[in-house]
Amino acid sequence: MRILDQGRGSIFSPITPEDFRRHMRSKAQKAHTDKRMDLKTAIAEFVKPGNYLSIGGFSFVRLPMAFLWEVLRQGYVFKMAGGSRSLDFNMLLDNNMVEAVDASYILGMETLGIPYHARRLAERKEIRGELKICEWSNGTMAWRHKAAAMGVPFLPVKSLLGSDTFKYSGAKKVKCPFTGEEVALVPALYSDVAVIHVHKADMYGNCQIYGMLGDDIEKAKSARHVIITTEKIVDAEEFRRGPSPVITQFYVDAVVEVPYGAYPTNMPGLYYLDLEHLKEYLAASKDPHGKKIRAYYQKYFFNPISFQNFLDLNGGMATLERLRKLEQLHNGGENTDGFL
Amino acid sequence: MVSCNRRELLAVVASRYLEDNHIVFAGTGLPLLAVMLAKRLRAPNLTLVFEAGGIAPALPMLPLSVGDSRTTYRAIRTASMSEVMEMAQQGLITYALLSAAQIDVYGNVNSTILGRSYIQPELRLPGSGGANEMMSLCWKSWIIMEHDRKRFVDRVDFISSPGYLRGPGWREKAGLPAETGPELVFTDLGIFDFEPESKRMRLRATMPGVTVEKIMDQTGFSLIIPVSLREEPPPAEEELRVLREEVDPWRVLLEPDNFLSRVKKKVQGGETWVC
Repeated sequence: MRILDQGRGSIFSPITPEDFRRHMRSKAQKAHTDKRMDLKTAIAEFVKPGNYLSIGGFSFVRLPMAFLWEVLRQGYVFKMAGGSRSLDFNMLLDNNMVEAVDASYILGMETLGIPYHARRLAERKEIRGELKICEWSNGTMAWRHKAAAMGVPFLPVKSLLGSDTFKYSGAKKVKCPFTGEEVALVPALYSDVAVIHVHKADMYGNCQIYGMLGDDIEKAKSARHVIITTEKIVDAEEFRRGPSPVITQFYVDAVVEVPYGAYPTNMPGLYYLDLEHLKEYLAASKDPHGKKIRAYYQKYFFNPISFQNFLDLNGGMATLERLRKLEQLHNGGENTDGFL
Repeated sequence: MVSCNRRELLAVVASRYLEDNHIVFAGTGLPLLAVMLAKRLRAPNLTLVFEAGGIAPALPMLPLSVGDSRTTYRAIRTASMSEVMEMAQQGLITYALLSAAQIDVYGNVNSTILGRSYIQPELRLPGSGGANEMMSLCWKSWIIMEHDRKRFVDRVDFISSPGYLRGPGWREKAGLPAETGPELVFTDLGIFDFEPESKRMRLRATMPGVTVEKIMDQTGFSLIIPVSLREEPPPAEEELRVLREEVDPWRVLLEPDNFLSRVKKKVQGGETWVC
């Protein structure tokens, strides 16, 4: 197949389908074991500096914030998948923990506003070569994860074509050998680690998620190691009665129970996002000298001794109860807790 | 004329143009307001999809993110991002409604960087997000944005998502699906379409009380101005009533900044939310 055109972006994750197959061959033997552990242990065991990281959730919804709280304190530098990210990418960048990102939507927080500090840092770091950005779109990032989940090296797609996003991506344009039409090929994206926060999981790592799925199923299927943080660990028998889990045990390495583990982001059905906290973050990020954002991290991430302590700092159960009411407000007060 | 703010004007006007019985891909903010209003007033069978996976949710309260829980509450399906993008790729989705930081004469949209140099941008923006798929794969793309000279430019600094690229035939040459592309642009000053021969942006109607001179003054390229021009009728009382009382009574998207204080009052005051 002749390459008609190609983007100049770099491929940041070197893992190939062959590498992944070999890895999965041995991983399969651990599928049906008890994987419960605490977050510190999971990070120590499965997260290494320089890793390519995939984070679950979308924008400011269902982000694994307990993981983020913990890993921010380690200060590792990562490469990461940046398809519609918000707090996770911004916070890692604010703390100089990202060296490369496959970006489709970064440095924005949708209707909430702009994380100015992270944006200024990204501009400065890109010029100095301290942050490499490869451009993608939400669809092509989803399909890159999907190709990896399928175990194939690439997928042909009909977006990106003609745009500058293509020029600065790692995609290639070819003619389809069957139909003759032109398509963009996007390479499979394998991660070293995927971290996903879910509503419930059993001790083997079977998981259920309520609400949007984003790219999480594909991310779990295409990471060498998968850390699941979950609102609740349930008996494995529960999933046999259905509904069927969306992530299965074969892919999972660690199951960590962290109630409210997505706070201050939205956990569908359980608690809404904490607009007050997110606005405090955004306000701190406005200070051009960076003093206020450093004070923010000191107060919420480096001074507290645990994630529970971080929750308490934000008003603890009173705040969480407010967010639970806010979550139920949008559905006429109907109690979606029933799902759990 | 009933007084309203710019967001309300844009939501009302864009809602008038949506045809019923189609599938719509909408970003949150103005695009979503327009779709929800159209559903209430004249197009009840529009099916709304969100890029993070929500398909046809109930939406008694509007979302702040295209992935938050309100985009999936009582949805007919909560899918994945790839599934929704694949719906667009298969040709199921008619309308893509989105906003943009910058647009040019051929309807190309920029949401990646401002400035001449990609490596040393004047401003780094979020990137193409889901808009590249929306504008590449949906049949008709509509852009809803505020109008000013810096944002209506001859050539965007970066084509994040494709309009007609550099003119007629360019989408086809690039390999994009046939018969797709930007159809309408809604701004606080006017409604625009694309002249079929040249694919250049053309003024289609002025917003109430806006002169053609003002539009030309706020546009950084030469617009095609047809001989006969229509003025879009102002929002009717009923349209604004439905928008304010039924679509976004909490003013989640009409005034996102103050949304929280209003909700607080309602929660503490014991008022219950009725769909």
